[in-house]
Amino acid sequence: MLKIKHFIQQSWLLIVASFCFGLLIAVTDAALSPRIEQNKTNKRNRLVGALLPGTKDFIPLETEITIESLRGKKEKIEVYQAMSESGKCVGWSFNVAGPGFADKIELVVAVDKDFEKLSGFDVLASNETPGFGDQIKCDYYRDQFKGAPAEQLNLVPSGDPKKIDDEIVAISGATISSEAVVEIISNSITQIKDQMHEKELIGNDRQE
Amino acid sequence: MTDKSEVQTCLYRQTLLAGLWRENPVFRLLLGMCPTLAVTAAVKPALTMGCCVIFVLVCSNIIVSLMRNLLKPHLRILMFTLTISTFVTIADLFLKAFVPDMSETLGPYVPLIIVNCIIIGRAEACASKNRLAVSVIDAVGMGVGFTLTLCVLAGVRELLSTGKIFEVQLMPDAFVPCAAMSMPVGAFITLGLLLALVNMITKKEA
Repeated sequence: MLKIKHFIQQSWLLIVASFCFGLLIAVTDAALSPRIEQNKTNKRNRLVGALLPGTKDFIPLETEITIESLRGKKEKIEVYQAMSESGKCVGWSFNVAGPGFADKIELVVAVDKDFEKLSGFDVLASNETPGFGDQIKCDYYRDQFKGAPAEQLNLVPSGDPKKIDDEIVAISGATISSEAVVEIISNSITQIKDQMHEKELIGNDRQE
Repeated sequence: MTDKSEVQTCLYRQTLLAGLWRENPVFRLLLGMCPTLAVTAAVKPALTMGCCVIFVLVCSNIIVSLMRNLLKPHLRILMFTLTISTFVTIADLFLKAFVPDMSETLGPYVPLIIVNCIIIGRAEACASKNRLAVSVIDAVGMGVGFTLTLCVLAGVRELLSTGKIFEVQLMPDAFVPCAAMSMPVGAFITLGLLLALVNMITKKEA
């Protein structure tokens, strides 16, 4: 009994303060979380909207798509169908992440409606070296992906970046960052494509 | 009576000014080096970080000062950390909601304010021993001192690495930007040179 009394005497302030502070954080979070979620959706839509022109709305795919990430873990991928104003499918987009040079790289990837060609990608979050690795955000690197086949891509040290094929020319001085993007996209896109075919979400027999 | 209020005003003024120069957290006490080096590549993030620190510092000093008589000596650091982490979480949520781009630029450095020595140092050295008014003034002085220092450092680095400050071109066209200044090496060099400058000035003063 004495022990409990001693414990309460010593720690009552800590217990009361933890409760009050917890409540304060909960209230702030409840008030701000819709806005934070909205910000995230807006950013994604803005980036994908630029990659898939004519998009009006994004519909999350109900079917579950799981891929094996580059680190060998199973990851659930949220795939969105981009719809035009007239209700036609413009393309697909999904978010993927993988290891970069300094930190995790998070990408949003857009693909055409048949999952045949990439419409491009954009960087949601990264922490690559300024001036070198962060050039993965630059147009001259990203433009190589626009129209590239939606399958395994290869990184080449030199070549013509304007030629659109499955060969992506690395950024000089930032091979690891360039490779990371190519690997993240190749790894996810091949698996997602297979599963979409399996689940008959895309394919020749499907009418839009 | 007048004497007493005069002494008090003098104390308040001294407390406020201490953070700005005599006990400037970065240049004189060398505290809070992690954000000082990490977020000063440009003025905007530095200013945002400074504002967050002012908010957390003022709030935590208020709470610590109010409960200073209830604190058990061996549990005080735990109470300080609890108080600070609460306000840092709130500041982080506000940044994510209202300035999402800046929140992304600052990344993990906002949550890291929890372990910023300036805040826990002021709670220990000032707020846990002084009345509310003195604690608040001390927090404002230290917070503004920290923010100004960050901005000076960021100003120098941004100007040399891009030739611009707040998107306004300040350097002549012939200026060659030095990308290294926006990288960690630039932070160390600028901080070292500024510290040397401050030491030179204080030596002359003494």
